[in-house]
Amino acid sequence: MYLVFTTNDFPWLTIIVVFPISAGSLMLFLPHRGNKVNKWYTICICILELLLTTYAFCYNFKMDDPLIQLSEDYKWINFFDFYWRMGIDGLSIGTILLTGFITTLATLAAFPVTRDSRLFHFLMLAMYSGQIGSFSSRDLLLFFIMWELELIPVYLLLAMWGGKKRLYSATKFILYTAGSSIFLLIGVLGISLYGSNEPTLNLELLANQSYPVTLEILFYIGFLIAFAVKSPIIPLHTWLPDTHGEAHYSTCMLLAGILLKMGAYGLVRINMELLPHAHSMFSPWLMVVGTIQIIYAASTSPGQRNLKKRIAYSSVSHMGFIIIGISSITDPGLNGAILQIISHGFIGAALFFLAGTSYDRIRLVYLDEMGGMAISIPKIFTMFTILSMASLALPGMSGFIAELIVFFGIITSQKYFLIFKILIIFVMAIGMILTPIYLLSMSRQMFYGYKLINVKNFSFFDSGPRELFLSISILLPIIGIGIYPDFVLSLASDKVESILSNYFYG
Amino acid sequence: MEHTYQYSWIIPFIPLPVPILLGVGLLLFPTATKNLRRIWTFLSIFLLSIVMIFSLYLSIQQIFISCIHQNVWSWTINNEFSFEFGYFIDPLTSIMSILITTVGILVLIYSDNYMSHDQGYLRFFAYMGFFNTSMLGLVTSSNLIQVYFFWELVGMCSYLLIGFWFTRPVAANACQKAFVTNRVGDFGLLLGILGLYWITGSFEFQDLFEIFNNLILNNRVNLFFFTLCGFLLFVGPIAKSAQFPLHVWLPDAMEGPTPISALIHAATMVAAGIFLVARLLPLFIVIPYIMYIISLIGIITVLLGATLALAQKDIKRGLAYSTMSQLGYMMLALGMGSYRSALFHLITHAYSKALLFLGSGSIIHSMEAIVGYSPDKSQNMILMGGLTKHVPITKTAFLIGTLSLCGIPPLACFWSKDEILNDSLLFSPIFAIIACSTAGLTAFYMFRIYLLTFEGHLNTYFLNYSGKKSRSFYSLSLWGKEEEKKLNKNFGLVPLLTMNNTKRSSFFCNKTYKISNNVRNKIFITVENFGLNTRTFYYPHESDNTILFPILILLLFTLFIGAIGIPFNQEGIDFDILSKLFTPSINLLHNNSQNFVDWYEFLRNATFSVSIAFFGIFIAYCLYKPFYSSLLNLTLLNSFQKWNSKRIRWEKLINFVYNWSYNRGYIDAFFKTYLIESIRGLAKQTNFFDKRIIDGITNGVGITSFFVGEVTKYIGGSRISSYLFLYLSYVLVFLMILFFFYFEKF
Repeated sequence: MYLVFTTNDFPWLTIIVVFPISAGSLMLFLPHRGNKVNKWYTICICILELLLTTYAFCYNFKMDDPLIQLSEDYKWINFFDFYWRMGIDGLSIGTILLTGFITTLATLAAFPVTRDSRLFHFLMLAMYSGQIGSFSSRDLLLFFIMWELELIPVYLLLAMWGGKKRLYSATKFILYTAGSSIFLLIGVLGISLYGSNEPTLNLELLANQSYPVTLEILFYIGFLIAFAVKSPIIPLHTWLPDTHGEAHYSTCMLLAGILLKMGAYGLVRINMELLPHAHSMFSPWLMVVGTIQIIYAASTSPGQRNLKKRIAYSSVSHMGFIIIGISSITDPGLNGAILQIISHGFIGAALFFLAGTSYDRIRLVYLDEMGGMAISIPKIFTMFTILSMASLALPGMSGFIAELIVFFGIITSQKYFLIFKILIIFVMAIGMILTPIYLLSMSRQMFYGYKLINVKNFSFFDSGPRELFLSISILLPIIGIGIYPDFVLSLASDKVESILSNYFYG
Repeated sequence: MEHTYQYSWIIPFIPLPVPILLGVGLLLFPTATKNLRRIWTFLSIFLLSIVMIFSLYLSIQQIFISCIHQNVWSWTINNEFSFEFGYFIDPLTSIMSILITTVGILVLIYSDNYMSHDQGYLRFFAYMGFFNTSMLGLVTSSNLIQVYFFWELVGMCSYLLIGFWFTRPVAANACQKAFVTNRVGDFGLLLGILGLYWITGSFEFQDLFEIFNNLILNNRVNLFFFTLCGFLLFVGPIAKSAQFPLHVWLPDAMEGPTPISALIHAATMVAAGIFLVARLLPLFIVIPYIMYIISLIGIITVLLGATLALAQKDIKRGLAYSTMSQLGYMMLALGMGSYRSALFHLITHAYSKALLFLGSGSIIHSMEAIVGYSPDKSQNMILMGGLTKHVPITKTAFLIGTLSLCGIPPLACFWSKDEILNDSLLFSPIFAIIACSTAGLTAFYMFRIYLLTFEGHLNTYFLNYSGKKSRSFYSLSLWGKEEEKKLNKNFGLVPLLTMNNTKRSSFFCNKTYKISNNVRNKIFITVENFGLNTRTFYYPHESDNTILFPILILLLFTLFIGAIGIPFNQEGIDFDILSKLFTPSINLLHNNSQNFVDWYEFLRNATFSVSIAFFGIFIAYCLYKPFYSSLLNLTLLNSFQKWNSKRIRWEKLINFVYNWSYNRGYIDAFFKTYLIESIRGLAKQTNFFDKRIIDGITNGVGITSFFVGEVTKYIGGSRISSYLFLYLSYVLVFLMILFFFYFEKF
């Protein structure tokens, strides 16, 4: 079978992927005037890119088509059949738009960064390219390359602009992720070299290929380890709190908003789509792991003193819902997982942003030293309250509908026994009780009470227009999705169906 | 008429613009929004009145043609699942929306004055508007998902309003406690909804009832699973309506402003649990055992709430426990299957309790000027006393509310409570005994509150409490740093009520005004003011008209709302509005003979219950009247012992009851020691596990590789000979392995 690629007349995706990093390298030629030029240049690039993406998707993406769209196919390296294949479908369009949105806002949030701002902004743009590239690549090796491409900026951002223990956490991050990339590479090579003389790297072709069971399981484990580090799935999560605790908050926004989602995206894109038999074999275990993860991270979180680490554990806990949704192998479950990817991208980024801005003001990291900040920074307090409500899945916000649909996914799943389903749902729902405990006690420790902080200059500025704009513009999609979830669900529903059809007829 | 129903989806959305505009305004244009402060209040009152008129119209329609209207729109559509949003108008909905809007409007008017010196005046109204929206959404919702949606929103409003004065650590703890406890209920509710969906495949109430009945008739389901789902569904109302194991949040919720306690924690939100059980009663009836569980939880709550209310020092906490006990009555009635009397009691209790809370707010407002702004002092009944002289109108209103709650005949709660007691007699004698004795306890504790507050003399000046009267800066700055004192002249309603206008400006406003104005140039006068304050006795004043007006309206409600449940003998047919409304959905399990009211029996039962109430009042009078100056319950007990020295056992019992009540039945302590500590311990342990073991392995691997590298470096010692040696030895090992395999093969 050979798929004929109807290449559009204009290579939208290539431009979208290449534009940020090439524009970023042009920053070298900007005059040495100071930070302002770099900042505004980067912001303009980001906004331009976002507009470009939106434009391209508006006019060229058809919602009701589960196939790959906007596809491009160029031969890159002749002697081993390596193509520059790009294309998007319902699964990746949401994440690409999320990437554009969050990266733009993270650049806006990085305004106070003054040290080495040229490099900083270049790295942001490089990350932009890497992320969009890995979401839109249709070639396994290209996916791997893009996956690696975005690690280096994160490492540098972490190692140069982080907190006190930045080198430790940066090393930990790079070891974890690079170590997991080995498994990814093994998997990629193994899959591509199987069964034929010349490597097949095309995802379309691979999706229709079947493997011997043991081999499939081996591939599955390899990919699973790679994505489990990124996602993260316990027990491979310990890089995340350290990284988030030390990174600058704009980096945190990118990490929580997009990087973690790459793991989940990879799980759907590769493990589910390419290896359906192994996935249905592994899914009960993944479900158990996901459930344990929700409880485990939610109960580790209250023990953290560091504000950002606490939020980091809350993201780990929320990732559990994605894993459960993916492994439920039902239409609502997978839809819920995809919705949770988007929704947590917004919520996690916004929470890190608010934690970072309040850290900028009080310069205290530990929760037990804070208190009574609501009087001096009421706007941040308001936004923080709203977003922690969003994070604990208050109805009307995006988190609720995502978690609800995941619950439905488990209920409607035909695959599992009743007792198993009841147990999983019960334990997940206990996580629902634990979530407000850590989120609300965090907000209480930070804002409530009247403790006066021993800082010489006690009067803080409340959030200015930039920060207010930032937090409101994250809040709007959260509420929008919460009130009208079809907005996001309609993007992916056809793709979800076509993925799941493998499981019922395959 | 049909089109009226068509437009009734708008009910929850009418009050919504105010909170949205206020929220946006406060975030983006704070000064401009704050300049318009009074206008926002008028706007929210106006919008809520529209809803009230609308729902009044709807329920009048319902009286004549009782029918159910339902309309749904899809919210999310997918091929495998779809959620729908819609409205569901039936008598229950219309009654509830009238209740919410009337109490809501009165509380809004009240809080305009009550909160007028608060910095968060507009924030308060934003929260209130949002609460009204979500509460109306809850009562009009047509399926369980929608109920859950608004259920959580209502809980969030309650969280925000309990923590309204966020600088108070107690309030901060209380709001978190309320939210987490309610989340436990939501946990059960969600699981119950999912379980029901799994059984029936639907969320709509009507479909649910039908499918359920069919399943039960055909006997095609696992009864245990059924009961489990029913019970989980009931956990939601347990938490929201402060029933027995999850009641702990309600008394702490009194940290919020008093209007909130009246609206949310007495009249509407806590009744949401009762509402949901009433809504799902056709479902609960067919599930075996669940009705017994409901009535059991109800009766436990009745007794527990009443005993816990016995020795509360804080006036609002006392009222909160009383609310809990009354909610228990409603739950008991629902458990017995008498739908009508439960809802009747819901209505009468809502008005009476709102009256009591607003009255207590008025008292607190006037006491604050004297004892200080900490809730420990201003709400402390021990410091009150003898307020009859100073606040006569509030006193009258409070007395009427108290009498109503005790169940004295012409007042509202008598009618409904009497019905519940009658039904309990038919249901089970043990329950009836407990319910009736608790009616006596109710009378006792309500009159204890009344007597401590209003009778005798003002205790503040009799006790040596003046030392503690110092006002801390923090509490003062919390309550009012309003620069300009706005005169409350512009109320059109004021001239209608002839009152002592001379005392209108309350004492406190005056004083702050002086302080804030005189700080700069007339320091001496300020000092003089303070000196004056400590030397002469100031007595509390009656509150402003804006506060008194809602109280008086509620007084009227309390007096006459009982009428909707009184059977009028009209043209030979017994006729009362409530029965007319609830006839189609009436579910009397046991007493079908209720249709023709036996006046003799009614009189007999009424005499019985009234005499119990009077007995309680009498005991309260004996205990509390002569000892108005007693500071602690212990002194009171001692005097009681002197008065009745024979009965040591009796005294021990009373001591036990007081300790029990004062320590809140040791339930909070139990939860604290076991639940909270265990969660903390769990958090510590997982944290330890995470840090030491999972992270330890990672770090261990890192450190090991570091050491291996160091050792290699040391062994190598950067000499070519040792590298060569290592290299050759590896090669040798490799060759040996190869050799070995080579020989093995052949």
